Amino acid sequence: MSMALTTEQYREQIWAELSKVARPDSRFHWDFSSFICDFEGSEKCSDQLLELAAITDRGQRQIFVTPDNCLEDLRYKLIQRGIPFVMTTYGIVRGFYRLDPAMIPASDHRYAATLDGFDRYAEQLSLCQLQETEKFSLLVTGGSAVSKNGVRFGKGHGYFDFEWAVLSELGLTDSSSVVADVVHDCQFVNEVMPAEKHDVVVDWVITPTQKIHIDQRSRQRGRVFWEMVPGTEFAELSIVAELRDIQNLGPL
Amino acid sequence: MVKKSNAAADLGVDFLADAPLYEQVRDSLTRLVLERTLSDSTPLPTEPNLMELFGVSRGTLRRAIEDLVRDGLLSAEQGRGTFVIQEERVRRVVWQRLSEVAKPDSRFDMDLRNFVPDFAGSTAAHKRVAKRSEWARAKVIFCAPDNSIEQLRLAALTAGKKILVPTYGLSRGFIFLDGSKLAASDKQLAATLDGMEKFGSRLGPGDLRKVGKIDLVITGATAVTLDGRHIGGGQRYLALEWMMMRELGVVDPSTPVIAIVHDCQVVDEMVEAEPDCLLGIICTNTQEIDVRVTREISAPQLRRVQ
Repeated sequence: MSMALTTEQYREQIWAELSKVARPDSRFHWDFSSFICDFEGSEKCSDQLLELAAITDRGQRQIFVTPDNCLEDLRYKLIQRGIPFVMTTYGIVRGFYRLDPAMIPASDHRYAATLDGFDRYAEQLSLCQLQETEKFSLLVTGGSAVSKNGVRFGKGHGYFDFEWAVLSELGLTDSSSVVADVVHDCQFVNEVMPAEKHDVVVDWVITPTQKIHIDQRSRQRGRVFWEMVPGTEFAELSIVAELRDIQNLGPL
Repeated sequence: MVKKSNAAADLGVDFLADAPLYEQVRDSLTRLVLERTLSDSTPLPTEPNLMELFGVSRGTLRRAIEDLVRDGLLSAEQGRGTFVIQEERVRRVVWQRLSEVAKPDSRFDMDLRNFVPDFAGSTAAHKRVAKRSEWARAKVIFCAPDNSIEQLRLAALTAGKKILVPTYGLSRGFIFLDGSKLAASDKQLAATLDGMEKFGSRLGPGDLRKVGKIDLVITGATAVTLDGRHIGGGQRYLALEWMMMRELGVVDPSTPVIAIVHDCQVVDEMVEAEPDCLLGIICTNTQEIDVRVTREISAPQLRRVQ
């Protein structure tokens, strides 16, 4: 039996469950293939995340958050606590942005946590500018599903894997960087799944009712597998051209 | 043969390039179409003429034309020729212009086919609306879910007005927000597509009567014509919404309709396009245009929308 088919079957099964607890997207409605949805209880996930040492003991290190809907409440709580974070725009199209809560009036904290409001207050960072910043202590993403050994089978685009790869190429991750995946309980698959070379296996799976730690000490340093990029939606991204420029690789 | 290749090269067709030939022909054909004047309703040159012009085979040309027919820019009519669909041409011309001033969407970025963007100077257009008597009088306002009027939705809520906003693509009905009942700190979020559903009540088309009479309709647009035609993104949501509201009697031909657009979205030539609804006032970043249209969309037009 082919693994791809099994993954697909899991996805179908999970989407059916997820649709009972999911919150629709303002543009994509219930089309789970276009976005990572928010769900009932995501507030409990952010509360658990905020207790992780990767946040409380981060020192000078930074936090990265994906533009997934289930992380809107986390972004709100980070802003309220005055904790800056780095995020990409949807589909990484405009690259990386940094949001500094000090720039946001208290009345707009919730607004700035949404994708519609983020743009108003966040500041775009070129990869060169990003490279000058501190390493990441915590990277948080959502996902369609995650296995008990921390393999995500996301919405199928692999955005987070690519973000991790780019940040790693810039030297902004290391062995102490922690990766957390926020999912609903129905998205947690209690089985071991094989990881592909570009998959970022996660250290924590955070659900509304559980906080599961997975030992990923053997995780390889992330890198961009350039041979896999041509023909994908990543090939056209401006950050791809910029990264190749930084690495003196020439155009794809 | 040499002459043909030169002509083809002038049109951007490069026989040595990586891109498939039919795609190059499609793109240069698109450029030719967009360069025509808007009032030009003559058919495109005949197939043999176009084959000669581009220096390509009939198969390649036909594949390019099929693509453009599928995209809604051309219509091929058996025995009559290939025609340009004006409405789509206007959209494409305006999208080109808009790309200079548009602000990206949080999901669709600059893919203007999918949304009506906010633009540089929209605040000035909003101020023109806020000075008008229609605005001052309006207690209930229909506001399209267009990014270009997000801040006007905020202004309405701040002024304690009630607004009715369709969800994007009408996929989850309408959201009804009462500015007088919202906390001041929630209004900015409630004015966005991401936030409105957290605060408003959801209404299906059948519930629209509960809103009572709508005093004013405010919308963005892909393009507007000086004679008051609203041209949307192609899915004709505004036409559908207007028709629903009209049938339920919450709007009527005397309901003022204001469009907020950038100057570059105003098309001053007559366009043989079916409007989504007819505009009374156009407010742009630099001007205010009173269209004073007295007619309404005709019943056959509405039926075609259905």
